[in-house]
Amino acid sequence: MSIEIKGVNKKFGDFVALDDVNVSLPTGQLTALLGPSGGGKSTLLRIIAGLDSADTGTISIEGTNATELPPQKRNVGFVFQHYAVFKHMTVAKNVAFGLEIRKRPKAEVAEKVDELLRLVHLSQFAHRLPSQLSGGQRQRMALARALAVEPTVLLLDEPFGALDAKVRKELRDWLRRLHDEVHVTTVFVTHDQEEAMEVADEIVVINEGRVEQVGTPDQLYDEPANDFVMGFLGEITTLNGVMLRPHDVHISLTPQLPGAAEGTISRLLRVGFEVRATVLTDDGDEVTVVLTRTHARQLGLETGVRVWVTAASGALTMPSLSVAR
Amino acid sequence: MASRGSTAVANQSSVVKWVLRFLVIGYLLMLVAWPTAYVVKHTFADGLTGIQDALADPDVVHALKLTAQIAVIAVIINTVFGVGMSLLLVRKTFIGKRALSVLIDLPLSVSPVVVGLALVLVYNGRFGWFGPWLEDHGIQVIFAKPGMIMATCFVILPLVIREVVPVLEELGDDQEQAARSLGANARQTFMRITLPGIKWAVVYGVVLSLARALGEFGAVKVVAGNVGGETQVATVLVQQKYQNFQQETAYSVAFMLVFMAVLCLVVVALLRPKEQES
Amino acid sequence: MASAVAVGGRPARKRRSASSGSLTRGSAFGLGVSMIWFSLLVLIPLSAIIVKAAGGGLSTFTDVLTNDNTRAALGLTVVSSLIITAINMVMGTIIAWVLVRDRFPGKGLLDLIIDIPFAMPTIVAGLVLLSLYGPESPIGVEVNSTRWAVLLAIAFVTLPFVVRTVQPVLEELDTDVEDAAASLGATRFTTFRRVVLPSLVPAIFAGAALSFARGISEYGALVLISGNLPRKTEVVSVRLFSFLEGGNTEAAAAVATIMLLVALLAIVALDVIQRRVARRG
Repeated sequence: MSIEIKGVNKKFGDFVALDDVNVSLPTGQLTALLGPSGGGKSTLLRIIAGLDSADTGTISIEGTNATELPPQKRNVGFVFQHYAVFKHMTVAKNVAFGLEIRKRPKAEVAEKVDELLRLVHLSQFAHRLPSQLSGGQRQRMALARALAVEPTVLLLDEPFGALDAKVRKELRDWLRRLHDEVHVTTVFVTHDQEEAMEVADEIVVINEGRVEQVGTPDQLYDEPANDFVMGFLGEITTLNGVMLRPHDVHISLTPQLPGAAEGTISRLLRVGFEVRATVLTDDGDEVTVVLTRTHARQLGLETGVRVWVTAASGALTMPSLSVAR
Repeated sequence: MASRGSTAVANQSSVVKWVLRFLVIGYLLMLVAWPTAYVVKHTFADGLTGIQDALADPDVVHALKLTAQIAVIAVIINTVFGVGMSLLLVRKTFIGKRALSVLIDLPLSVSPVVVGLALVLVYNGRFGWFGPWLEDHGIQVIFAKPGMIMATCFVILPLVIREVVPVLEELGDDQEQAARSLGANARQTFMRITLPGIKWAVVYGVVLSLARALGEFGAVKVVAGNVGGETQVATVLVQQKYQNFQQETAYSVAFMLVFMAVLCLVVVALLRPKEQES
Repeated sequence: MASAVAVGGRPARKRRSASSGSLTRGSAFGLGVSMIWFSLLVLIPLSAIIVKAAGGGLSTFTDVLTNDNTRAALGLTVVSSLIITAINMVMGTIIAWVLVRDRFPGKGLLDLIIDIPFAMPTIVAGLVLLSLYGPESPIGVEVNSTRWAVLLAIAFVTLPFVVRTVQPVLEELDTDVEDAAASLGATRFTTFRRVVLPSLVPAIFAGAALSFARGISEYGALVLISGNLPRKTEVVSVRLFSFLEGGNTEAAAAVATIMLLVALLAIVALDVIQRRVARRG
């Protein structure tokens, strides 16, 4: 295991940012820390980097106890949401910074910087100032800067959070490919479940300072440990006292399955290829159903139509103890 | 999240932290705080008698009144000028704007004595450029209040502008354009949109100019007659009393001026957070 | 909040209104009135000095500059202002650093103290310094009528400038950048020297220019404490005043012109630096 986090607690005044966090992050993998804003995931990342210190608990990186080490000695690469570029240095100088600190020979530094700028597709911008780059380019530069020192682990704090949707999507794919090339243990923080599911090998779900679940994207989606995880990873709706995904609701014009609830379609919304129907059951539940347009057309769904809804066979369901949202 | 502050940044080596702290506190103590406090101590060495004696001197009372009068008039003129000039500089384009914005700062770098000399050369009644003509029309500038007001205006000229211009730039003109599109005329837009936006900057500039105006010495000394009980302002009186070995009076008047200055600063310090909230 | 600020790498402070209007009739009138007032108050009087000085021909300047007392006063003023400006660049930066980054009870008071020299009447400033460092000094340090007094008085009146220009820049500085340098292995000192200081340099120089300009023009704070001994502690403003009192307006105008030139140089330097800051973004 590359990063071992044991019994970490952190408070800011009265606010509990991390509450007894225990997590192992595997070597060579791309792990996402996923959770809502203010849930403590960034704090955990900063504690791993040594930029914040835990009140209690230990951090070890590749078998070394790093708890008391200052950030300078942890050999981690850190990428910030807002890039944290050195404004007065050229792109090449930014990337070279860590190597110059380590007093590497000039030729070696130049070579390494060249290589990294090629890797992040910024070779032609080497002598520009960061202010002349776009947001996505700045973040790629920041990534190259972090990778230059050949860190044991690479930590990214909401790395694409400040970018627009299209660039975010591109960089996300690019990060996945980059990781497949470089294989450095990588941890990134995100509040976007789609981003985490697409990019990460493993996801750690953190909420209100606690780890809710650790697992692969499929595990989390198919076997959520609790209603929070289920709700956070995808849309849910409540039917007959159970939570389930809207696309797992079976809808029919006649009572076909036992236990189906009867109701009326109160709203029908077409979003691209799918149709979202809101069914008001006679028990007073408001159930969201997602189905394909073709399916909806076959059934002839319209507002006001009487329908029967129930969980489809094989649907993932969970008793709704609390109202997740 | 960055606002929470970084431990890595905050946790600088505690030795360095204490050395810097000690250095700064020591420097400010020796240079400003202790001497200022000592004047207060000096003033109240014999209780309130120092101040009472000073206020019993008609010259002192007259000088304080004159100082207040000149400061208030100069600050009013300068505020109107400053706000207008700021609006022109930020919102309008005209030839020579850049040069003007550089020239506006000029008074900050001109010696008060040079200010006095400049005004004397133009407005004195004997050989000034405009002085004799003005005196023929019954207006005496030099050795009279108009000159003292002008000298004060000269010295405080950039203070309001330097406060208001950055705030106006920050505000942008979106809101003003929105108001215009909703049918407000220029005056309504200014009164309802622009002025509330720059209110605190103006107040801050006014308080700073008031502090400077009350304390102006060199420029006013050159253009005023400095006749006790007539054209002598408080600061000049402090110098004259000190040099005439009436140190108690000098310190008492100095204390009153320091008190006013510190009061202005406290007002400004109290205004600052409000300005950020709005 | 932080996110809105740092997206462009720097807050949208330098925002120019895109549609800055041309002059309407009303604003043209306002500009006219403002310009007349500004001319009557500043431009015409200052030109009068130059005209007066030039009227005496080059000989006025050579006479002034060959006068030992005047030359000494000019030299003393410029050298003292340079020394204090250098001290201000270091101390001002340190003070700004402590005010922004350190936390301790009473810090707010320090913040207030910084502004005292700016708000205090200059003559009172002289008196204030004299009370602690004058003939009745309670701590036995007596510097009045020495060159130390000149340095002290200039240091007092120019204290706020560097602090107040550096402080806002330091406040705006993204601590992420320092964290980034730390995680890349830079020590605190290296981080300061290579990452923080370069961002502060323009502000430090801008403050220095203001401080120098104020230093060479100071009069009130120096009259009482410097003793005004010719060729020893007499600064150029005091020299100028004595020319004025003696009715020698031509010499006064010549000295004033030289002072204006030096001040103008400082302002131009300030403006060049500020433009350079604005360009970087």
